[in-house]
Amino acid sequence: MNHRRAETFWFWLFAGPAVVGFAAFSLWPMLESLWLSFCSYEVIAPPRFIGLQNYAYLFAHDLSFWPSVKVTLVFTVIQLPLAIGAALALALLLNQPVRGRGFWRAVYFLPSILPQAVFAVVFGYIFQADGGLLNRLLALGGIHGAAWTTSPTWALPVLIVISLWGFGYPMVIFLGGLQNVPRELYEAAHIDGAGAWARFRHITLPLISPVIFFNVVMGLIGSLKVFDLAYAFSVAQAQPTPGGPARATLFYGLNLYQQAFGYFHMGLASAMAWLLFAFILVVTFINFRVSRRWVHYGD
Amino acid sequence: MFSRYRDALLWFAFALLAAAGFWWAGRRHEPPATPGRAVISWYVIITPLRDLYMAEVAAFEKLNPEIEVQIFWVPGSEYNVKLKTLAAAHQLPDLFFSGDVWVSYLRPFSRDLTPLVQRDAAEFGLDDFFPEIRRAMQLDGKDYILPEYVNLSLLYYNRRMFAAAGLPEPTADWTWDDLVRAGQALTHEGQDGAPPVWGSSRVEGWWGEWLIYVRQAGGKAFSPDGHRCLLDSREAITGLRFYLEKSSKHHISAPAGFEPLNGFVNQRVAMIVGGHINYWVNYNQTLGLDWDVQLLPTGPASRSGGELAIAGYSISQESRHPEEAWALAKFLTRPEAIAAVVARGNLSVRRSVAETVMGAPGPHANPRHLAAAYRQFAFGEPIPHHPNYIEIMLTVVQPEIDRMLLGELTPEEAGRRAAAAVNAFLATFDPAKP
Repeated sequence: MNHRRAETFWFWLFAGPAVVGFAAFSLWPMLESLWLSFCSYEVIAPPRFIGLQNYAYLFAHDLSFWPSVKVTLVFTVIQLPLAIGAALALALLLNQPVRGRGFWRAVYFLPSILPQAVFAVVFGYIFQADGGLLNRLLALGGIHGAAWTTSPTWALPVLIVISLWGFGYPMVIFLGGLQNVPRELYEAAHIDGAGAWARFRHITLPLISPVIFFNVVMGLIGSLKVFDLAYAFSVAQAQPTPGGPARATLFYGLNLYQQAFGYFHMGLASAMAWLLFAFILVVTFINFRVSRRWVHYGD
Repeated sequence: MFSRYRDALLWFAFALLAAAGFWWAGRRHEPPATPGRAVISWYVIITPLRDLYMAEVAAFEKLNPEIEVQIFWVPGSEYNVKLKTLAAAHQLPDLFFSGDVWVSYLRPFSRDLTPLVQRDAAEFGLDDFFPEIRRAMQLDGKDYILPEYVNLSLLYYNRRMFAAAGLPEPTADWTWDDLVRAGQALTHEGQDGAPPVWGSSRVEGWWGEWLIYVRQAGGKAFSPDGHRCLLDSREAITGLRFYLEKSSKHHISAPAGFEPLNGFVNQRVAMIVGGHINYWVNYNQTLGLDWDVQLLPTGPASRSGGELAIAGYSISQESRHPEEAWALAKFLTRPEAIAAVVARGNLSVRRSVAETVMGAPGPHANPRHLAAAYRQFAFGEPIPHHPNYIEIMLTVVQPEIDRMLLGELTPEEAGRRAAAAVNAFLATFDPAKP
């Protein structure tokens, strides 16, 4: 065996399992789901080709499609800036030279190691309308609290609040970015008379802009795919159908799951999955294009 | 020499390793059957009666040493999904727990039990089943379920709360007006910071209560052929309005979203319209809860309209041991087995057991009006047999009802929107539509 062939052999020997795994468990199911999105497939009978009918039904007739799009977009638009802002603010605080800094960093990161489902259950009890902790506290002040988890007006804001507890990972990434900002730049700016805000605005932000961009991209994709939090919230609230009340927490991912595994409309669910894929692709592409204007890589 | 074939040998070894891995991952994990014994699989929902079923299976195996039963316990919330997945994979168990609400969907996979039922009718006492149960067993005149349980809508009430309010207990001739009057007398704000107590609960999130009112007002959810939703009819809207006005006008139920958690058990709700027989076990385990049942109050058009739903056993179309599975189904629904289920706090699907229990109520004092519960059989209505019934009711209709309760829609708007949405759904998904 010559050197080149040997190299090829060893490459495939080590990369082979991953390639086979990707092809068998990712690529093939993706292509299969693309085909199914053009079929009527209720699992118990073979798929039947129906062209674009699934897509047409979603856009024109399905009562849950647009509400789930709306819920997901509203969640993303409100939650993402709040989550990024909270993570950055905490990272800035935890980057200060304070006593026990390592301890505080660990404390603030701790919530992130818990599954979102745990938050959904615990906060579900806190926000419960009848006898929940929040409403009991409000009642002490003579305030009649709202039906936080069972009102379509409040259920989504409650979920946004709950989701913010997952700030640990972006916070750690921000911390990493902040520690790479050269101290000399701050010292020079300080000597030139720059205040704290000016230093943050003109040094910190531009230099951590790649990290912000990374967190925005990951956060955006995560927000558009929210499932576990919404599902656990529904279970904790003993909703007969996930996504209630009145579809107020029917996230796109949850709706897709329901269509696929609750009601076995696999063709319809596949169409939904591909629409989500296309949407995330387009949004991420736009994100990258726009990032050229505000992300600085120092080159 | 070896180096010439090393490439090929290594590729072969690699392929062999991969094949072995796939074989190992995909092999069956069941232990081999004992020679001479038929092994039947049984899927059953995890239940507080688990010990009872284990004992039943042990007794069955002792009586039938040639049959081995493998029980698969499945959480109730996942049961339907697992069953559908197994059906799709042609891996259904020989015997599975089924119900009239699922039977339409599962019919292609369920064995037509009619020949077996007819053949063994005398042996297992077909005539012993209540006639209403017999009717609910059938789909298009064929038997697909051997029933074990029945759920029936009833009026549940807290005897202690009625006595404390100086009210007479509900009677069989109650109407909606009586329900409202008693409910108002029982509703009161909590004292010293205690939460309010409501005269009546309101079942939210599913059809358990509002469909009763729709039917008792003369309405229907679906046309008789199942191809059209009728929730926009004047009668249906009357029923929906009463459901809404329990809180908005009569103030006998909590506003939407404020229903007390387990209100009846926690004695913060005095009455339930509808309810579920499954909770009898919990009610009887709750210290200080003195409860009873009565016929549902009569609506403006009819007393009928409460739900009568059955659950029991179906046999897979593909079962290799249908006779053995049928033997187990018969064993689990024989009078002694039904009596054991009833003794834990359930209604009987068999007349003989019901008569025995009414004569000697057994360990539980409640409910006292067992006769009223059995009388309600005559006024119960089965769930419409439609393959997508649950999906339609929960995901298409219910959000409109929720919005009505929240004041976003009037009953007319909710009924109209729900009907239009269901009809659009049926036009797309209804496999029964010609």
